[in-house]
Amino acid sequence: MNRVLVVDDEPAILRLLGAVLARGGYEAAAAATAAAALGALRGGGLSAAILDLGLPDRDGLELIPMLRSAGVPVIVLSAREDVGEKVAALDLGASDYITKPFDGEELLARLRVALRQSGAAAAQEVLAHGPFRIDTARHEASIDGRGLTLPPKEFALLQALVEAGGRILTHAALLEKVWGRAHVGDVEYLRVAIRALRLKVEEDPAHPRLIRNEPGIGYRLMDTGA
Amino acid sequence: MWRVLTSYAVPLLGIALVTWITSAMLAQWGLASAALLFLLPVLLGAARGGLGPGLLAALAGAGAYNYFLLPPYFSFHVHGPDHAVSVLVLVLVALVTSRLATRLRAREEEANARAAISEELAQISRLLAKGSPVEALERARAYVAGIYGPLRIDGAQDGFSSLDQAAAAWAMHNGDATGHGTGVMAAAEWTFLPLSPKGRGAHALMALARPADGQTRPMAQIEHIQQVALLLGQGCDRIALDEERRARETLAESDRLRRTFLASLAHDFRTPLTVITGQLEALAKRSPEAGEALNAARRLERTMSDLIAAARIEEGSLSPQAESLDLIDAADAAFGAVAVPAGLSLGHAIPADLPFVRADAVLLHHVLINLIDNALGHAASQVMLGAALRDGQVTLWVEDDGPGVPPADRARIFERFARIEGGDRAKGSGLGLAIVRGFAEAMGMQVSIEDSPLGGARFILRMGA
Repeated sequence: MNRVLVVDDEPAILRLLGAVLARGGYEAAAAATAAAALGALRGGGLSAAILDLGLPDRDGLELIPMLRSAGVPVIVLSAREDVGEKVAALDLGASDYITKPFDGEELLARLRVALRQSGAAAAQEVLAHGPFRIDTARHEASIDGRGLTLPPKEFALLQALVEAGGRILTHAALLEKVWGRAHVGDVEYLRVAIRALRLKVEEDPAHPRLIRNEPGIGYRLMDTGA
Repeated sequence: MWRVLTSYAVPLLGIALVTWITSAMLAQWGLASAALLFLLPVLLGAARGGLGPGLLAALAGAGAYNYFLLPPYFSFHVHGPDHAVSVLVLVLVALVTSRLATRLRAREEEANARAAISEELAQISRLLAKGSPVEALERARAYVAGIYGPLRIDGAQDGFSSLDQAAAAWAMHNGDATGHGTGVMAAAEWTFLPLSPKGRGAHALMALARPADGQTRPMAQIEHIQQVALLLGQGCDRIALDEERRARETLAESDRLRRTFLASLAHDFRTPLTVITGQLEALAKRSPEAGEALNAARRLERTMSDLIAAARIEEGSLSPQAESLDLIDAADAAFGAVAVPAGLSLGHAIPADLPFVRADAVLLHHVLINLIDNALGHAASQVMLGAALRDGQVTLWVEDDGPGVPPADRARIFERFARIEGGDRAKGSGLGLAIVRGFAEAMGMQVSIEDSPLGGARFILRMGA
């Protein structure tokens, strides 16, 4: 059974998350402070962490890199709505974020994505997500077995999204991966490339189902498209 | 009086002394040296006492020289022209020396007076710079009052006669010194001097009482006191600035408190709501009553978000970040965030080649959610979102096939808690459309209403491409 670390200073939220996780077949390890969370991390055996940012002893953002470097995927669960904070959490290595109040089923779905992602080896030659397959060695991409002819930037963009495997990637992260560090502010590049990519992969580019935008934050690939 | 007496007496004594010495030594020194000696008391008299004592000493010296030293002795009879020249030289020396001495003394007095004035102004400046502005001003006022007599800078009118009040009003209005000792309403008991330079706004006044001895102050002194008044005026300015700064600090502090309050409000409501909705979610699978409670909790959450958004608009803390946006993304995200009631359809017809717009993604997201929610609340069967490029401007609209908004209500509907009479617009918090307008305006967009071809209302957002 997967053990999921749950970090929140509110006992009622901890109980609720315990119930939701039990429903999904996970075992919850509760921590009310950052110190307790780090203790649980040292104890090992964690598959993922659900992390509140407003902790009594230190900012939850500081825990993200520590959990990530221990190979534990992190889902941020916060009452804060500030986009800058969400982007900061994602750029620090969080797999996803969810705002309170949250939907239990959605939380479980995001958790599955995060767990699957951490299990996948990073340097695989053939990547797959939903209908997409990407052969990085041969530089080939396909959707539902149909080969795609993509210019380098669109290929790199699709590869980044497929590698993330349904995790959300911030605008800045995508721009840095595909265009380089100098262009992290040029969101317009990204919009143009996403629109071009959608023309090739979406059934109806005006109603995209595969490449989804989170306002102000970034893009993620849906795996329910096919 | 004593000084005047001595200024005449001392040179006369000098003449007597010189006469005595020279008449005793005449045989050894000769007449020319004796005559020169007479210059000394004349110079002394003219330099110390001015023209009068100088001339007196010259005439006395000439007389004594003639009477005691020139033959025939003990007679004023003058023999030759050389003796007349001696007398003339003594008189001329007295004249010139006294002129020079007088001018020198006047200049010295002027310099002394100037030094005294600048020392006085410097002292006032020092007093004004020390300690709290209010105390500093009072200390400077007391110092000036110690020199020039009773004065007021409090601006109060009590104790003034009607003439004084008229003089004060004149000084206030024209920025000129008025009242006693000046050219304007000189019969007043007080002198009124503006505390700020002429031509700079309204004038606060310094009121200076008539001198205790009943004398009229000379114009030069009034001019000097005007300088003092301007200096005190700077002290008043410092108080005003200080008050302004303190008011600003108070405002900033209350602003910070309000922001903290809003942030904690959001947090404090969301945490219990999360627990409520989360637990109800699990229960709702088994009981329809729990499902109803879940819906109510979700509505409460929306209302809370609306209230916080409305408070943010009101306090002006929105700082939109303009970024390049694809309206297809914006519509997609908004559709994902609203619940479409059974029997209604929601769709969009945004052209796939529409130019990107510049807007704040999060604010636009809220605007669209609120417009769609509002439309879903009134639609009979469908809500449509559309967009087009018109005259280089991207226009986005949300329309429904409901009853529409009568033209008379269109201006009012964006106000907070506005609901159309007789309609069933009692849904939601009554804040949704107010937030739409607040957020849209913060992003520099205009929002308006017209009739929809579908039969209901069409809410239009005009934004820059």
